[in-house]
Amino acid sequence: MDRMTAASSDPPTSEPGEAAARGPDLGGMLRRSARGDESAFAELYDATCRRIYGLVLRIVRDPAMSEEVTQEVYLDVWRTSARFDGAKGSAISWLMTIAHRTAVDRVRSSEASRRRDDAHATATQEVDFDQTAEAAHTSIEAQRVRKALESLTEAQRSAVELAYLGGYTHTEVASLLDLPLGTAKTRIRDGLIRLRDTLGVPA
Amino acid sequence: MSPDLHHLSGAYAVDALDIDERSSFERHLTACPACRAEVAELQGAAHALSSLSDVAPPASLRTSVLSGIAHVRPLPPVGPEPEEHTAPAPAESEQLAPVVPLLRRPRSWVAAAAAAAAVVVGGVAVNAWTTPEPALTAAQQVQGAGDAATVTSEKEGTSATLAYSRELDQSVLTVSGLAPAPEGMTYQLWYVGTDEVARPAGFLTPSDGRGEALLQGSVSAATAVGVTVEPAGGSSSPTSDPIMVMAVA
Repeated sequence: MDRMTAASSDPPTSEPGEAAARGPDLGGMLRRSARGDESAFAELYDATCRRIYGLVLRIVRDPAMSEEVTQEVYLDVWRTSARFDGAKGSAISWLMTIAHRTAVDRVRSSEASRRRDDAHATATQEVDFDQTAEAAHTSIEAQRVRKALESLTEAQRSAVELAYLGGYTHTEVASLLDLPLGTAKTRIRDGLIRLRDTLGVPA
Repeated sequence: MSPDLHHLSGAYAVDALDIDERSSFERHLTACPACRAEVAELQGAAHALSSLSDVAPPASLRTSVLSGIAHVRPLPPVGPEPEEHTAPAPAESEQLAPVVPLLRRPRSWVAAAAAAAAVVVGGVAVNAWTTPEPALTAAQQVQGAGDAATVTSEKEGTSATLAYSRELDQSVLTVSGLAPAPEGMTYQLWYVGTDEVARPAGFLTPSDGRGEALLQGSVSAATAVGVTVEPAGGSSSPTSDPIMVMAVA
């Protein structure tokens, strides 16, 4: 986030409740992007690219493909920026939802999963958070999240990690964890509920 | 609402539903405010995990991204502007579950259609059925419509002909020389609209290399028809590059 630029000079025109955002005003950048403001979009890119590229890379694994997917994500964000509605959730959540789904859909296409499997034949039974990027270890947010994960049971944590960071379907998660079919989705939901309660995440 | 569906909220929030479950849950979401609220909260929690995988992308990516958007017009807001909308906008589910624009790489379809040198616009076909035929299939009706036009594409031994009728607002794709889809995969058909979004239009299952399918949906807003290879059961948006694209005049 060191590259983030000063927040929008464009005063928020809508909901007063939203003005109290901490960090860069991503919602404002999205609104300006929707009007075709490329410099606002560049600010948005600078403020979010580490998070988006990092997640995509985590799921997709192949760096070249991850760049492709990331580019696709930002193109989608640009095209659909007018559809972002701050009343329904935070801008970062909206962005990450697009990024996650695009990455997951890509790895599920056959060619992509073959390439990923070739590159990482041995990966994934256990997702190791310590393998992640240097920056993540020091960020306060990452420490908070890591701590919150400790509140999950081992089973919930594995299910959530495989689904979110591994990009697996609940059926695949069940099979990877030797769970009866149908159990994984409950684990995922219970784990996320606990994570939400521990983090106190705003929607 | 059904407790079964309600329990899918977590898996939906992390994109862990398969394609059929995803679409049925999205339908459920439009009618269930409780699930909508829960999904939003669980997505917020899930996305906190992405702070654990913070990685700086190569600097070249910034240039590609910023030069990529320069040629793309942002879509207008989905909102109460009736004169803007010809098609009913699935506003509710779209905002909740920001469905990634169906067409991931808009230009690839357009480019593919443009580059398909073999595409022949056949113009208005001769109406072979001038006398009423009671037992015509829907496909035959399209092919025999008074305003039927055809587009043919030939590629590596595969021939595909799209017949469409504006009057009937339908189209039929006929192929020959098409190998069966790989194990666990299927050929999925798409209508690509003027908004460059690809919408699912059914499937094509060749037998002995031949196949015919009446596309689901309306040809009127389409600028092209595409075929992609998708995981069995299909996708809600293309996950691979099209193997065939035919421009609709």
